[in-house]
Amino acid sequence: MKQKLFLFLLLTALSLSACTGGATSTQETGGETAGESVTLRLWTHQNDAFNEGYQALIDAYMAENPNVKIELETFDYDTYIQTLQTALPAKTEADILQMFGSWVCSYAEGGNLAEVQATVMSLQEAQNAFFAPQIAGYTCNGKLYGLPQEFNIEYGAVLVNTALAEETGIANITGGWATWDDFIADAKALAVTQDGVMTRAGYNFTGSDGLTATFYSLILQNGGTYLTDEGFKVNTPEGKAALDLLKRFVDEGLVDPVLFNDDQNWVGDSYFEETSAIGLVGPWVVPEYGADYGDVLEVTQYVPLPSVGGNNSFVAASGWGLAVSVNSKAVEAAWDFVTYVTMNADNSVQWNLASGTLPALKANATGNAAASLTEAFPHFGPFLDILQYAQPEGAFPDRDLVWYDISYPRLLEFLQGNMTAEETLETLEREVSETLQ
Amino acid sequence: MTSSKRLFRFPRRETRDSAKHTFLGLTVPPLVLYMGFWTLFPMVWGFLLAFFDYSARRTGSTFLGLGEDNPFVALQNFGEMLNFAEDAPLIVRQFHISVKTTLLFAFLILPLNLLITLPLAALIESVHERVKGVFRTFFFLPVLAPSVGVAIMWGYLYHPQRGLLNAIIGAVAGKLTAINWTGDQSLVLMGIPVALIAVIVAYLWQDLGYNLVIFIAALQSIPESLREAARIDGASDWQVFWHVTLPLLRPTILLAAMLTMISSFQVFDIIQVLTNGGPNEQTRVMTIDIYNNAFRFQNMGWASAVSVVLFLLVLVISLVQNRLLKTEWEY
Repeated sequence: MKQKLFLFLLLTALSLSACTGGATSTQETGGETAGESVTLRLWTHQNDAFNEGYQALIDAYMAENPNVKIELETFDYDTYIQTLQTALPAKTEADILQMFGSWVCSYAEGGNLAEVQATVMSLQEAQNAFFAPQIAGYTCNGKLYGLPQEFNIEYGAVLVNTALAEETGIANITGGWATWDDFIADAKALAVTQDGVMTRAGYNFTGSDGLTATFYSLILQNGGTYLTDEGFKVNTPEGKAALDLLKRFVDEGLVDPVLFNDDQNWVGDSYFEETSAIGLVGPWVVPEYGADYGDVLEVTQYVPLPSVGGNNSFVAASGWGLAVSVNSKAVEAAWDFVTYVTMNADNSVQWNLASGTLPALKANATGNAAASLTEAFPHFGPFLDILQYAQPEGAFPDRDLVWYDISYPRLLEFLQGNMTAEETLETLEREVSETLQ
Repeated sequence: MTSSKRLFRFPRRETRDSAKHTFLGLTVPPLVLYMGFWTLFPMVWGFLLAFFDYSARRTGSTFLGLGEDNPFVALQNFGEMLNFAEDAPLIVRQFHISVKTTLLFAFLILPLNLLITLPLAALIESVHERVKGVFRTFFFLPVLAPSVGVAIMWGYLYHPQRGLLNAIIGAVAGKLTAINWTGDQSLVLMGIPVALIAVIVAYLWQDLGYNLVIFIAALQSIPESLREAARIDGASDWQVFWHVTLPLLRPTILLAAMLTMISSFQVFDIIQVLTNGGPNEQTRVMTIDIYNNAFRFQNMGWASAVSVVLFLLVLVISLVQNRLLKTEWEY
């Protein structure tokens, strides 16, 4: 009996130690930085263009710093998110972590990310060097926890199929629109309806990123704000004005939001399949679809959207960048590499060129860097001109919950005619406010 | 022939016992460890988290990350689930929607599945032996298909502009038809969202073969003499099926009902791919609620509490089914 009890206790102890071991183990990579050899691990998600850019910079950095070895480890996107969520509490993560700006604070507030030391860069210096939405994503409670590499943009300019515009008899569509009325007239002419069914949307803006970014951007352009000291406020005249314009797009027949949304005819698919003539989606979609839809790409141009009363403000999320684990044993070396990649203007633009992304560094949005970006990616032109007007989305504790599970479904319900403007604004205000508590 | 010339001799009893103990000693502990690590520990861990406000993003105490930033909240998660006020927090309202949708889904799937598979099994069983295998294979093949593939295929069938379903309706109606079967929240049939019905059809298509094979096997195991005796007494084919076959299938129906009910409570991938819980949460089942809270929003404590509720629901319903359909006899 005693032997059985002993065996049971032994097995239990073994099981528990196996289960809890990971939580207290420490990472064995890293080491001293002062002249001694250092090995750093860099985790990124699998994106060939991004990672080719990283590898080129890793090779260059290692050539300049022979004592530092950097190992790039990649994961597919979903696995990467789950690996971060489990590895960080277990302290088994890499020294340097690729982060999207809107993720940073939730990890930083959990005590998992190292703060950028003033010796590396002060917050003020970072705010001067990077665009506001980009650095805002990496700033939590006045402290900096990483540095951005790219500008993620979902609003400001739209994909336009110039061939369809020509067929429809619209002259000089690439010249842009002075007012929303001009824009609506062109988009309405481009929409096609047969037997009461919309077969081609004139303006497809009803994807989750586009619709949500439009709503919050229009609030700013109408002179309002939605995240104040008093909390989240959209049930305002500016919020109502934003909804009115969105509803006008639908009422004028630019898009049928029941048939064109995230689940069906998503804007990227729809635009390149030519079931949408104008599409609201960021420039990241061009390399993603360009290879398969070369003929559509040839007749595609980005054209800036009009604004309300000349106010060009728009909201933007942060973007991809790099952070350092608080558990790294070579924090100094890790920050040295991160600043080499993100703060050095030449290196930073080299990565933007490799990855096909817009720059997070203000210096790279003008001059030679901008010229080289526009030469490599002609569709960047209209965006580089408007980056200066971007405003941070705001510090939401869970940005994806606010954006994709609250704002988008409610706005789509409104456009589909299932909620009134008043109900939509009230519901949005109440549900988003809950997430701030 | 003397005993020394026997080709085989049974080992002594003590030797046999010792070999048995050695075998058990070598095979059981790894299995116990395996089960403990991969089954028991996650279950206990999941149950434990239901009593904490736990997020893997927060470090917590050194003991499994529990406590401090991941505080113990006792029954608070379960208490919040009982808040039925209109202005209850979004997370609670989403939980209520998911419970309602899960129950609706499961209680529609169960009768529909049994109503289709049982007569179909009897039909297949009645055809010639040569074609029986063809039918069995035909209906069982979707079970072997991955659920994600099934969902993608049905997504194409349901597509508003390019889908086969709308193409057929359009051909019959003589005009272009673009019904958004999985994305239009205003479509409701007898109080049931059409998006949910679309998911149910896809799920049934994939799941039918499983119960079909179970029923065919059960039908084959019923002694022919029982049916023969009924026929001699003048019973028609329908009476034989209703009064002899069906009662004898009761234990199999219980098994099929329990398996179907449990699997329909656990449905996830087909909904995740086909509708992702939409439109407007009309297909948000409990597993989608658990997934979103646990892995998208890192609200592990709440997700674990929902998992415990799901477990209790399945347990209670299985016990009730067992009680209602249990038989005291065998044939």
